[in-house]
Amino acid sequence: MTALLRAKRVCVAYGDARVLDGIDLEITRGEFVALIGPNGAGKTTLLHAIAGIAPVCGGTVDIAGHDLAKAPREAKQSIGLAIDPPSLPELLTGREGLALFAGARGLPAIPRTTLALAETLSLTSVLDRRVASYSLGMRQKLGILLGLIGEPPLLLLDEPFNGLDPRSALAFKAHLAALAAKGDASVLLATHSLDIAERHATRVVLLMDGRVRRSWDADELAAMREQPERSLEKGMAEACEKES
Amino acid sequence: MLPARRVTQSASMSILWHPALRADWLVLRRTGAIAFVRILGVPVLLLTCCAALACGDFYRGYGWCLAAAALLALGGSHAIAHQGLLDALERWQLGWCAALPVARGAAARTLLLITIVALTASLVIVTVLLLGVSFGAPHRGDLPYAFAGIALALVAGTALAILRVFRRGAFAAHHADGIREPVLAAEWLNDPRLPHLLDWQRRAALVRWRRGGSLVMVGLVLGTVPMGAPMLEVAALVLLVLSWSWLALVMRASADATSLAVTLLGAEPLDMRRARLASFRYPLVAAACALLPMAAGAILGRSGVAALAWMVCACAFSAWPFVRILRATRAESPA
Repeated sequence: MTALLRAKRVCVAYGDARVLDGIDLEITRGEFVALIGPNGAGKTTLLHAIAGIAPVCGGTVDIAGHDLAKAPREAKQSIGLAIDPPSLPELLTGREGLALFAGARGLPAIPRTTLALAETLSLTSVLDRRVASYSLGMRQKLGILLGLIGEPPLLLLDEPFNGLDPRSALAFKAHLAALAAKGDASVLLATHSLDIAERHATRVVLLMDGRVRRSWDADELAAMREQPERSLEKGMAEACEKES
Repeated sequence: MLPARRVTQSASMSILWHPALRADWLVLRRTGAIAFVRILGVPVLLLTCCAALACGDFYRGYGWCLAAAALLALGGSHAIAHQGLLDALERWQLGWCAALPVARGAAARTLLLITIVALTASLVIVTVLLLGVSFGAPHRGDLPYAFAGIALALVAGTALAILRVFRRGAFAAHHADGIREPVLAAEWLNDPRLPHLLDWQRRAALVRWRRGGSLVMVGLVLGTVPMGAPMLEVAALVLLVLSWSWLALVMRASADATSLAVTLLGAEPLDMRRARLASFRYPLVAAACALLPMAAGAILGRSGVAALAWMVCACAFSAWPFVRILRATRAESPA
Protein backbone atom coordinates (compact mmCIF):
# COMPACT_ATOMS: atom_id res chain seq x y z
CA MET A 1 0.00 0.00 0.00
CA THR A 2 1.33 3.48 -0.88
CA ALA A 3 2.34 5.67 2.02
CA LEU A 4 0.23 8.75 2.70
CA LEU A 5 3.05 10.24 4.76
CA ARG A 6 6.68 9.51 4.22
CA ALA A 7 9.10 11.37 6.50
CA LYS A 8 12.76 10.59 5.90
CA ARG A 9 15.58 11.61 8.24
CA VAL A 10 13.68 14.70 9.40
CA CYS A 11 15.73 17.06 11.57
CA VAL A 12 14.53 20.16 13.39
CA ALA A 13 16.79 22.41 15.43
CA TYR A 14 16.05 25.51 17.48
CA GLY A 15 19.39 27.29 17.65
CA ASP A 16 21.96 24.79 18.83
CA ALA A 17 19.36 22.44 20.29
CA ARG A 18 18.46 19.58 17.95
CA VAL A 19 14.84 18.70 18.75
CA LEU A 20 14.33 16.07 16.05
CA ASP A 21 17.29 14.01 14.92
CA GLY A 22 16.73 11.95 11.79
CA ILE A 23 13.12 10.81 12.18
CA ASP A 24 11.83 8.19 9.74
CA LEU A 25 8.09 7.65 9.71
CA GLU A 26 5.64 6.22 7.20
CA ILE A 27 1.87 6.18 7.51
CA THR A 28 -0.48 4.45 5.08
CA ARG A 29 -4.18 5.17 4.51
CA GLY A 30 -6.44 4.05 7.34
CA GLU A 31 -3.64 3.81 9.90
CA PHE A 32 -4.10 5.22 13.40
CA VAL A 33 -0.62 5.97 14.71
CA ALA A 34 -0.09 7.15 18.27
CA LEU A 35 3.05 9.08 19.07
CA ILE A 36 4.09 8.68 22.69
CA GLY A 37 7.11 9.76 24.68
CA PRO A 38 8.24 11.81 27.64
CA ASN A 39 7.90 15.60 27.81
CA GLY A 40 10.30 17.30 25.42
CA ALA A 41 10.70 14.17 23.29
CA GLY A 42 9.74 16.12 20.15
CA LYS A 43 6.17 14.89 19.56
CA THR A 44 4.65 18.32 18.95
CA THR A 45 7.66 19.43 16.90
CA LEU A 46 7.30 16.35 14.68
CA LEU A 47 3.63 17.18 14.07
CA HIS A 48 4.58 20.78 13.27
CA ALA A 49 7.37 19.66 10.93
CA ILE A 50 4.91 17.43 9.06
CA ALA A 51 2.40 20.30 8.93
CA GLY A 52 5.05 22.63 7.49
CA ILE A 53 5.04 25.11 10.37
CA ALA A 54 8.32 24.09 12.02
CA PRO A 55 11.51 24.85 10.08
CA VAL A 56 13.04 21.56 8.97
CA CYS A 57 16.84 21.64 8.80
CA GLY A 58 17.31 18.25 7.16
CA GLY A 59 15.43 15.36 5.59
CA THR A 60 12.24 15.31 3.53
CA VAL A 61 8.52 15.16 4.21
CA ASP A 62 6.36 13.71 1.48
CA ILE A 63 2.58 13.86 1.83
CA ALA A 64 0.32 12.07 -0.68
CA GLY A 65 3.15 12.13 -3.21
CA HIS A 66 3.98 15.83 -2.78
CA ASP A 67 7.24 17.06 -1.31
CA LEU A 68 6.34 19.51 1.48
CA ALA A 69 9.37 21.72 0.74
CA LYS A 70 8.84 21.90 -3.01
CA ALA A 71 5.03 21.88 -3.26
CA PRO A 72 3.73 23.02 0.15
CA ARG A 73 0.21 23.89 -1.01
CA GLU A 74 -0.37 20.54 -2.69
CA ALA A 75 1.08 18.68 0.30
CA LYS A 76 -0.96 20.68 2.80
CA GLN A 77 -4.19 19.83 0.93
CA SER A 78 -3.84 16.35 2.42
CA ILE A 79 -3.25 17.28 6.06
CA GLY A 80 -5.37 18.71 8.82
CA LEU A 81 -3.70 19.99 11.97
CA ALA A 82 -5.88 20.53 15.03
CA ILE A 83 -5.20 24.03 16.31
CA ASP A 84 -3.72 24.53 19.74
CA PRO A 85 -6.39 26.25 21.94
CA PRO A 86 -4.26 29.29 22.92
CA SER A 87 -3.62 30.08 19.24
CA LEU A 88 -7.30 30.47 18.32
CA PRO A 89 -8.44 33.91 17.06
CA GLU A 90 -10.11 35.50 20.09
CA LEU A 91 -11.70 38.35 18.13
CA LEU A 92 -13.67 36.01 15.84
CA THR A 93 -16.65 33.82 16.65
CA GLY A 94 -16.29 30.06 16.35
CA ARG A 95 -18.36 30.07 13.16
CA GLU A 96 -16.26 32.88 11.65
CA GLY A 97 -13.08 30.93 12.47
CA LEU A 98 -14.50 27.86 10.72
CA ALA A 99 -15.44 29.98 7.67
CA LEU A 100 -11.90 31.46 7.60
CA PHE A 101 -10.34 27.99 7.58
CA ALA A 102 -12.84 26.75 4.99
CA GLY A 103 -11.88 29.71 2.80
CA ALA A 104 -8.19 28.93 3.24
CA ARG A 105 -8.92 25.40 1.96
CA GLY A 106 -10.78 26.84 -1.03
CA LEU A 107 -14.20 25.71 0.20
CA PRO A 108 -17.18 28.01 -0.48
CA ALA A 109 -18.71 27.46 2.97
CA ILE A 110 -18.30 25.50 6.18
CA PRO A 111 -18.83 21.83 5.18
CA ARG A 112 -21.88 20.02 6.53
CA THR A 113 -19.71 17.29 8.01
CA THR A 114 -17.89 19.89 10.13
CA LEU A 115 -21.18 21.31 11.39
CA ALA A 116 -22.39 17.77 12.10
CA LEU A 117 -19.25 17.08 14.14
CA ALA A 118 -19.79 20.38 15.99
CA GLU A 119 -23.26 19.11 16.88
CA THR A 120 -21.81 15.76 18.02
CA LEU A 121 -19.31 17.60 20.22
CA SER A 122 -22.07 19.89 21.60
CA LEU A 123 -20.43 23.03 20.25
CA THR A 124 -23.21 24.29 17.96
CA SER A 125 -24.88 26.41 20.65
CA VAL A 126 -21.74 28.53 21.20
CA LEU A 127 -20.51 28.79 17.60
CA ASP A 128 -21.80 32.37 17.29
CA ARG A 129 -20.00 33.53 20.43
CA ARG A 130 -16.54 35.12 20.33
CA VAL A 131 -13.71 32.65 21.00
CA ALA A 132 -12.51 34.96 23.81
CA SER A 133 -15.48 33.79 25.87
CA TYR A 134 -14.86 30.05 25.31
CA SER A 135 -13.77 27.65 28.04
CA LEU A 136 -10.72 25.39 27.51
CA GLY A 137 -12.94 22.48 26.45
CA MET A 138 -14.82 24.62 23.92
CA ARG A 139 -11.54 25.91 22.50
CA GLN A 140 -10.22 22.36 22.23
CA LYS A 141 -13.34 21.31 20.32
CA LEU A 142 -13.07 24.28 17.97
CA GLY A 143 -9.36 23.53 17.39
CA ILE A 144 -10.29 19.95 16.45
CA LEU A 145 -13.03 21.14 14.06
CA LEU A 146 -10.60 23.55 12.38
CA GLY A 147 -8.17 20.69 11.80
CA LEU A 148 -10.83 18.41 10.36
CA ILE A 149 -12.36 20.92 7.91
CA GLY A 150 -12.51 19.57 4.38
CA GLU A 151 -11.87 16.00 5.60
CA PRO A 152 -8.13 15.88 4.83
CA PRO A 153 -6.79 12.31 4.58
CA LEU A 154 -4.07 12.80 7.22
CA LEU A 155 -5.09 14.19 10.60
CA LEU A 156 -2.41 15.56 12.91
CA LEU A 157 -3.69 15.78 16.47
CA ASP A 158 -1.73 16.97 19.48
CA GLU A 159 -3.31 15.93 22.79
CA PRO A 160 -6.81 16.57 21.40
CA PHE A 161 -8.57 15.07 24.42
CA ASN A 162 -7.21 17.63 26.90
CA GLY A 163 -10.11 19.49 28.44
CA LEU A 164 -12.82 17.52 26.62
CA ASP A 165 -15.74 16.31 28.72
CA PRO A 166 -16.03 12.48 28.82
CA ARG A 167 -19.05 12.42 26.48
CA SER A 168 -17.36 14.56 23.83
CA ALA A 169 -14.09 12.63 24.21
CA LEU A 170 -15.95 9.35 23.64
CA ALA A 171 -17.77 10.77 20.60
CA PHE A 172 -14.54 12.09 19.12
CA LYS A 173 -12.69 8.79 19.68
CA ALA A 174 -15.54 6.98 17.93
CA HIS A 175 -15.41 9.50 15.08
CA LEU A 176 -11.65 9.00 14.62
CA ALA A 177 -11.92 5.23 14.83
CA ALA A 178 -14.70 5.26 12.22
CA LEU A 179 -12.67 7.47 9.87
CA ALA A 180 -9.62 5.23 10.19
CA ALA A 181 -11.66 2.01 9.83
CA LYS A 182 -13.31 3.25 6.63
CA GLY A 183 -9.85 4.06 5.29
CA ASP A 184 -10.93 7.68 4.71
CA ALA A 185 -8.34 9.13 6.99
CA SER A 186 -5.10 8.33 8.72
CA VAL A 187 -4.45 9.70 12.16
CA LEU A 188 -1.18 10.73 13.76
CA LEU A 189 -1.95 11.41 17.39
CA ALA A 190 0.57 12.78 19.88
CA THR A 191 -0.57 11.81 23.34
CA HIS A 192 0.44 11.02 26.89
CA SER A 193 -2.68 8.92 27.33
CA LEU A 194 -1.31 5.40 26.89
CA ASP A 195 -4.80 4.03 27.40
CA ILE A 196 -6.05 5.76 24.25
CA ALA A 197 -2.94 4.70 22.33
CA GLU A 198 -3.34 1.07 23.42
CA ARG A 199 -7.05 0.83 22.73
CA HIS A 200 -7.44 2.80 19.51
CA ALA A 201 -4.13 2.93 17.68
CA THR A 202 -3.03 0.46 15.03
CA ARG A 203 0.60 1.39 15.66
CA VAL A 204 2.36 3.14 18.53
CA VAL A 205 5.66 4.96 18.09
CA LEU A 206 7.85 5.90 21.04
CA LEU A 207 9.82 9.09 20.58
CA MET A 208 12.69 9.97 22.93
CA ASP A 209 15.26 12.74 22.66
CA GLY A 210 14.15 13.51 19.13
CA ARG A 211 14.52 9.94 17.84
CA VAL A 212 12.21 6.99 17.27
CA ARG A 213 13.18 4.48 19.98
CA ARG A 214 10.59 1.78 19.55
CA SER A 215 7.30 0.99 17.89
CA TRP A 216 4.53 -1.49 18.56
CA ASP A 217 2.53 -2.86 15.63
CA ALA A 218 -1.12 -3.91 15.52
CA ASP A 219 -0.40 -7.50 16.58
CA GLU A 220 1.62 -6.46 19.61
CA LEU A 221 -1.10 -3.99 20.60
CA ALA A 222 -3.78 -6.67 20.21
CA ALA A 223 -1.73 -8.95 22.45
CA MET A 224 -1.48 -6.19 25.04
CA ARG A 225 -5.24 -5.73 25.06
CA GLU A 226 -5.69 -9.45 25.74
CA GLN A 227 -2.93 -9.75 28.33
CA PRO A 228 -3.11 -6.88 30.83
CA GLU A 229 0.33 -7.73 32.23
CA ARG A 230 1.88 -6.72 28.88
CA SER A 231 0.65 -3.13 28.93
CA LEU A 232 2.00 -0.27 26.83
CA GLU A 233 2.88 1.49 30.08
CA LYS A 234 5.27 -1.32 31.02
CA GLY A 235 6.66 -1.48 27.49
CA MET A 236 7.37 2.25 27.51
CA ALA A 237 8.94 2.10 30.97
CA GLU A 238 11.21 -0.75 29.85
CA ALA A 239 12.24 1.13 26.72
CA CYS A 240 12.98 4.26 28.78
CA GLU A 241 15.02 2.27 31.33
CA LYS A 242 16.97 0.56 28.58
CA GLU A 243 17.74 3.95 27.10
CA SER A 244 18.92 5.47 30.36
CA MET B 1 -3.86 9.14 54.57
CA LEU B 2 -1.04 11.61 54.16
CA PRO B 3 -0.67 14.09 57.00
CA ALA B 4 -1.79 17.60 56.14
CA ARG B 5 1.14 19.96 55.94
CA ARG B 6 1.26 23.66 56.09
CA VAL B 7 2.03 25.01 52.60
CA THR B 8 4.86 27.48 52.85
CA GLN B 9 5.80 30.05 50.26
CA SER B 10 8.95 29.40 48.33
CA ALA B 11 11.93 31.63 48.98
CA SER B 12 11.67 33.18 45.53
CA MET B 13 8.08 34.29 46.06
CA SER B 14 7.82 37.48 48.01
CA ILE B 15 4.63 38.44 49.80
CA LEU B 16 5.05 42.06 48.75
CA TRP B 17 5.76 41.76 45.04
CA HIS B 18 4.21 39.80 42.20
CA PRO B 19 6.41 36.84 41.14
CA ALA B 20 5.87 37.59 37.43
CA LEU B 21 7.98 40.72 37.84
CA ARG B 22 11.15 38.64 38.07
CA ALA B 23 10.08 36.48 35.13
CA ASP B 24 9.30 39.55 33.01
CA TRP B 25 12.68 41.03 33.88
CA LEU B 26 14.47 37.81 32.86
CA VAL B 27 12.56 37.71 29.55
CA LEU B 28 13.43 41.34 28.92
CA ARG B 29 17.13 40.75 29.60
CA ARG B 30 17.25 37.71 27.38
CA THR B 31 15.38 39.38 24.51
CA GLY B 32 18.20 41.88 24.13
CA ALA B 33 18.58 45.57 23.39
CA ILE B 34 15.63 45.73 20.97
CA ALA B 35 13.21 44.94 23.81
CA PHE B 36 14.54 47.87 25.85
CA VAL B 37 14.36 50.18 22.84
CA ARG B 38 10.75 49.14 22.22
CA ILE B 39 9.77 49.83 25.81
CA LEU B 40 11.72 53.04 26.31
CA GLY B 41 11.35 54.45 22.78
CA VAL B 42 7.90 56.01 23.04
CA PRO B 43 8.32 57.59 26.53
CA VAL B 44 11.72 59.06 25.58
CA LEU B 45 10.23 60.39 22.33
CA LEU B 46 7.39 61.99 24.29
CA LEU B 47 9.77 63.71 26.72
CA THR B 48 11.97 64.89 23.85
CA CYS B 49 8.92 66.36 22.09
CA CYS B 50 7.92 68.17 25.30
CA ALA B 51 11.40 69.66 25.62
CA ALA B 52 11.44 70.59 21.93
CA LEU B 53 8.05 72.33 22.27
CA ALA B 54 9.31 74.29 25.29
CA CYS B 55 12.11 75.67 23.07
CA GLY B 56 9.49 77.88 21.39
CA ASP B 57 9.23 79.88 24.64
CA PHE B 58 12.91 79.65 25.59
CA TYR B 59 14.18 81.01 22.28
CA ARG B 60 11.30 82.92 20.68
CA GLY B 61 9.18 83.85 23.69
CA TYR B 62 5.92 82.73 22.03
CA GLY B 63 4.24 82.33 25.40
CA TRP B 64 2.02 79.34 24.56
CA CYS B 65 4.59 76.62 24.03
CA LEU B 66 5.01 75.69 27.71
CA ALA B 67 1.26 75.11 28.04
CA ALA B 68 1.31 72.97 24.91
CA ALA B 69 4.29 70.98 26.21
CA ALA B 70 2.50 70.42 29.52
CA LEU B 71 -0.65 69.28 27.72
CA LEU B 72 1.39 66.93 25.58
CA ALA B 73 3.06 65.53 28.72
CA LEU B 74 -0.34 65.11 30.39
CA GLY B 75 -1.94 63.26 27.50
CA GLY B 76 1.14 61.24 26.59
CA SER B 77 1.98 60.10 30.10
CA HIS B 78 -1.64 59.16 30.68
CA ALA B 79 -1.86 57.12 27.47
CA ILE B 80 1.46 55.33 28.04
CA ALA B 81 0.80 54.54 31.71
CA HIS B 82 -2.81 53.46 31.06
CA GLN B 83 -1.90 51.08 28.25
CA GLY B 84 1.17 49.72 30.06
CA LEU B 85 -0.68 49.04 33.30
CA LEU B 86 -3.60 47.36 31.52
CA ASP B 87 -1.27 45.17 29.47
CA ALA B 88 0.67 44.10 32.57
CA LEU B 89 -2.53 43.36 34.49
CA GLU B 90 -3.90 41.34 31.60
CA ARG B 91 -0.66 39.36 31.35
CA TRP B 92 -0.50 38.73 35.09
CA GLN B 93 -4.15 38.02 35.76
CA LEU B 94 -4.90 35.94 32.67
CA GLY B 95 -1.50 34.62 31.64
CA TRP B 96 0.67 31.73 32.81
CA CYS B 97 1.00 33.13 36.33
CA ALA B 98 -2.76 33.60 36.82
CA ALA B 99 -3.05 30.52 39.05
CA LEU B 100 -0.04 31.27 41.24
CA PRO B 101 -0.76 31.78 44.94
CA VAL B 102 0.01 35.48 44.78
CA ALA B 103 -0.45 37.56 47.92
CA ARG B 104 -3.46 39.86 47.92
CA GLY B 105 -2.60 43.26 46.45
CA ALA B 106 0.82 42.12 45.22
CA ALA B 107 0.00 42.90 41.60
CA ALA B 108 -1.21 46.41 42.43
CA ARG B 109 1.79 47.09 44.69
CA THR B 110 4.25 45.87 42.07
CA LEU B 111 2.65 47.88 39.27
CA LEU B 112 2.57 50.99 41.47
CA LEU B 113 6.27 50.52 42.24
CA ILE B 114 7.13 50.16 38.53
CA THR B 115 5.02 53.22 37.68
CA ILE B 116 6.69 55.32 40.37
CA VAL B 117 10.16 54.24 39.22
CA ALA B 118 9.25 55.04 35.59
CA LEU B 119 7.79 58.42 36.62
CA THR B 120 10.90 59.31 38.63
CA ALA B 121 13.12 58.35 35.67
CA SER B 122 10.93 60.50 33.38
CA LEU B 123 11.30 63.48 35.71
CA VAL B 124 15.07 63.08 35.73
CA ILE B 125 15.19 62.77 31.93
CA VAL B 126 12.94 65.79 31.37
CA THR B 127 15.07 67.86 33.81
CA VAL B 128 18.24 66.97 31.94
CA LEU B 129 16.58 67.69 28.58
CA LEU B 130 15.20 71.06 29.68
CA LEU B 131 18.53 72.08 31.19
CA GLY B 132 20.22 71.08 27.95
CA VAL B 133 17.86 72.80 25.51
CA SER B 134 17.59 76.01 27.55
CA PHE B 135 21.32 76.46 27.92
CA GLY B 136 22.15 79.95 26.65
CA ALA B 137 18.53 80.64 25.62
CA PRO B 138 17.35 84.29 25.81
CA HIS B 139 14.30 83.38 27.94
CA ARG B 140 16.03 80.90 30.25
CA GLY B 141 14.10 82.39 33.17
CA ASP B 142 11.12 80.30 32.04
CA LEU B 143 12.99 77.11 32.95
CA PRO B 144 11.43 76.64 36.44
CA TYR B 145 7.94 77.19 34.97
CA ALA B 146 8.67 74.73 32.18
CA PHE B 147 9.92 72.11 34.58
CA ALA B 148 7.05 72.63 37.02
CA GLY B 149 4.44 72.53 34.25
CA ILE B 150 5.77 69.41 32.53
CA ALA B 151 6.53 67.59 35.79
CA LEU B 152 3.07 68.33 37.19
CA ALA B 153 1.52 67.19 33.92
CA LEU B 154 3.51 63.93 33.97
CA VAL B 155 2.47 63.24 37.57
CA ALA B 156 -1.17 64.14 36.91
CA GLY B 157 -1.37 62.05 33.72
CA THR B 158 0.17 59.01 35.42
CA ALA B 159 -2.01 59.41 38.52
CA LEU B 160 -5.13 59.60 36.35
CA ALA B 161 -4.07 56.42 34.55
CA ILE B 162 -3.54 54.62 37.89
CA LEU B 163 -6.97 55.72 39.11
CA ARG B 164 -8.64 54.61 35.88
CA VAL B 165 -6.93 51.20 35.82
CA PHE B 166 -7.46 50.32 39.48
CA ARG B 167 -11.03 51.55 39.85
CA ARG B 168 -13.53 48.79 40.54
CA GLY B 169 -14.60 46.88 37.43
CA ALA B 170 -12.19 48.70 35.11
CA PHE B 171 -10.16 45.62 34.25
CA ALA B 172 -13.23 43.53 33.45
CA ALA B 173 -14.54 46.28 31.15
CA HIS B 174 -11.16 46.52 29.44
CA HIS B 175 -11.03 42.77 28.87
CA ALA B 176 -14.55 42.80 27.45
CA ASP B 177 -13.44 45.27 24.75
CA GLY B 178 -12.65 42.31 22.54
CA ILE B 179 -16.29 41.25 22.68
CA ARG B 180 -17.76 44.57 21.54
CA GLU B 181 -18.85 44.97 17.94
CA PRO B 182 -17.91 47.78 15.54
CA VAL B 183 -20.69 50.36 15.10
CA LEU B 184 -21.18 49.41 11.44
CA ALA B 185 -21.27 45.70 10.63
CA ALA B 186 -20.35 46.15 6.91
CA GLU B 187 -20.14 42.42 6.26
CA TRP B 188 -20.19 43.04 2.51
CA LEU B 189 -16.61 44.27 2.83
CA ASN B 190 -15.37 40.76 3.61
CA ASP B 191 -13.47 38.89 0.91
CA PRO B 192 -15.49 35.70 0.30
CA ARG B 193 -12.29 33.82 -0.59
CA LEU B 194 -10.87 34.40 2.90
CA PRO B 195 -13.92 35.33 4.94
CA HIS B 196 -13.71 37.22 8.23
CA LEU B 197 -10.06 38.18 7.91
CA LEU B 198 -11.36 41.72 7.41
CA ASP B 199 -13.56 41.36 10.52
CA TRP B 200 -10.49 40.31 12.45
CA GLN B 201 -8.57 43.38 11.24
CA ARG B 202 -11.48 45.73 11.97
CA ARG B 203 -12.02 44.39 15.48
CA ALA B 204 -8.30 44.54 16.25
CA ALA B 205 -8.28 48.19 15.12
CA LEU B 206 -11.43 48.92 17.10
CA VAL B 207 -10.05 47.45 20.32
CA ARG B 208 -6.89 49.57 19.96
CA TRP B 209 -8.83 52.73 19.19
CA ARG B 210 -11.10 52.33 22.20
CA ARG B 211 -8.16 51.61 24.48
CA GLY B 212 -6.01 54.43 23.12
CA GLY B 213 -8.35 57.19 24.22
CA SER B 214 -9.32 59.10 21.10
CA LEU B 215 -10.38 62.05 23.26
CA VAL B 216 -6.77 62.46 24.38
CA MET B 217 -5.81 62.99 20.74
CA VAL B 218 -8.36 65.79 20.29
CA GLY B 219 -7.19 67.36 23.54
CA LEU B 220 -3.56 67.18 22.47
CA VAL B 221 -4.25 68.76 19.11
CA LEU B 222 -6.32 71.56 20.63
CA GLY B 223 -3.67 72.07 23.30
CA THR B 224 -0.93 72.74 20.79
CA VAL B 225 -2.93 75.35 18.87
CA PRO B 226 -1.81 78.94 19.64
CA MET B 227 -4.26 81.29 21.32
CA GLY B 228 -6.39 83.29 18.94
CA ALA B 229 -6.01 80.94 15.99
CA PRO B 230 -8.93 81.07 13.51
CA MET B 231 -11.64 78.49 14.24
CA LEU B 232 -11.58 77.04 10.73
CA GLU B 233 -7.86 76.36 10.92
CA VAL B 234 -8.28 74.66 14.30
CA ALA B 235 -11.01 72.45 12.84
CA ALA B 236 -8.79 71.67 9.86
CA LEU B 237 -5.91 70.68 12.14
CA VAL B 238 -8.14 68.43 14.26
CA LEU B 239 -9.48 66.71 11.13
CA LEU B 240 -6.00 66.16 9.72
CA VAL B 241 -4.43 64.85 12.94
CA LEU B 242 -7.36 62.66 13.96
CA SER B 243 -7.67 61.04 10.54
CA TRP B 244 -3.93 60.44 10.39
CA SER B 245 -3.77 58.90 13.86
CA TRP B 246 -6.78 56.71 13.06
CA LEU B 247 -5.27 55.60 9.74
CA ALA B 248 -1.91 54.78 11.34
CA LEU B 249 -3.63 52.74 14.05
CA VAL B 250 -5.79 50.85 11.51
CA MET B 251 -2.72 50.05 9.42
CA ARG B 252 -0.77 48.68 12.37
CA ALA B 253 -3.74 46.66 13.65
CA SER B 254 -4.37 45.24 10.16
CA ALA B 255 -0.73 44.21 9.75
CA ASP B 256 -0.71 42.55 13.19
CA ALA B 257 -3.98 40.70 12.52
CA THR B 258 -2.69 39.54 9.12
CA SER B 259 0.53 38.19 10.65
CA LEU B 260 -1.47 36.30 13.29
CA ALA B 261 -3.88 34.93 10.67
CA VAL B 262 -1.07 33.72 8.38
CA THR B 263 0.62 32.00 11.35
CA LEU B 264 -2.69 30.43 12.41
CA LEU B 265 -3.32 29.17 8.88
CA GLY B 266 0.27 27.89 8.58
CA ALA B 267 -0.76 24.26 8.11
CA GLU B 268 -3.50 25.12 5.58
CA PRO B 269 -3.03 25.07 1.80
CA LEU B 270 -3.41 28.84 1.73
CA ASP B 271 -3.07 30.67 -1.59
CA MET B 272 -0.78 33.52 -0.55
CA ARG B 273 -1.79 35.72 -3.48
CA ARG B 274 -5.41 35.51 -2.41
CA ALA B 275 -4.44 36.01 1.20
CA ARG B 276 -2.52 39.17 0.24
CA LEU B 277 -5.49 40.57 -1.69
CA ALA B 278 -7.82 39.82 1.22
CA SER B 279 -5.37 41.39 3.69
CA PHE B 280 -5.12 44.66 1.76
CA ARG B 281 -8.87 45.13 1.46
CA TYR B 282 -9.53 46.72 4.86
CA PRO B 283 -6.39 48.91 5.01
CA LEU B 284 -7.20 50.27 1.53
CA VAL B 285 -10.83 50.99 2.44
CA ALA B 286 -9.62 52.64 5.66
CA ALA B 287 -7.09 54.76 3.73
CA ALA B 288 -9.83 55.89 1.34
CA CYS B 289 -12.06 56.76 4.31
CA ALA B 290 -9.25 58.67 6.03
CA LEU B 291 -8.48 60.68 2.92
CA LEU B 292 -11.99 62.21 3.01
CA PRO B 293 -11.56 64.04 6.36
CA MET B 294 -7.98 64.87 5.35
CA ALA B 295 -9.29 66.49 2.16
CA ALA B 296 -11.96 68.29 4.19
CA GLY B 297 -9.23 69.52 6.53
CA ALA B 298 -7.20 70.73 3.57
CA ILE B 299 -10.19 72.65 2.18
CA LEU B 300 -10.99 74.18 5.59
CA GLY B 301 -7.37 75.13 6.20
CA ARG B 302 -7.20 76.85 2.79
CA SER B 303 -3.56 75.90 2.50
CA GLY B 304 -3.54 73.49 -0.39
CA VAL B 305 0.20 72.85 -0.59
CA ALA B 306 0.63 72.30 3.16
CA ALA B 307 -2.39 69.99 3.28
CA LEU B 308 -1.20 68.03 0.29
CA ALA B 309 2.25 67.68 1.86
CA TRP B 310 0.54 66.53 5.06
CA MET B 311 -1.50 63.91 3.24
CA VAL B 312 1.54 62.62 1.37
CA CYS B 313 3.51 62.39 4.64
CA ALA B 314 0.58 60.72 6.41
CA CYS B 315 0.21 58.12 3.66
CA ALA B 316 3.98 57.53 3.51
CA PHE B 317 4.26 57.02 7.27
CA SER B 318 1.19 54.78 7.30
CA ALA B 319 2.55 52.66 4.46
CA TRP B 320 5.06 50.73 6.58
CA PRO B 321 2.41 48.21 7.75
CA PHE B 322 1.69 47.53 4.05
CA VAL B 323 5.25 46.26 3.77
CA ARG B 324 4.65 44.04 6.82
CA ILE B 325 1.52 42.60 5.18
CA LEU B 326 3.48 41.95 1.99
CA ARG B 327 6.20 40.18 3.97
CA ALA B 328 3.70 38.12 5.98
CA THR B 329 1.93 36.91 2.85
CA ARG B 330 5.09 36.32 0.83
CA ALA B 331 6.47 32.98 2.03
CA GLU B 332 4.67 29.85 0.91
CA SER B 333 6.21 27.81 3.69
CA PRO B 334 8.70 28.36 6.50
CA ALA B 335 10.47 25.25 5.34
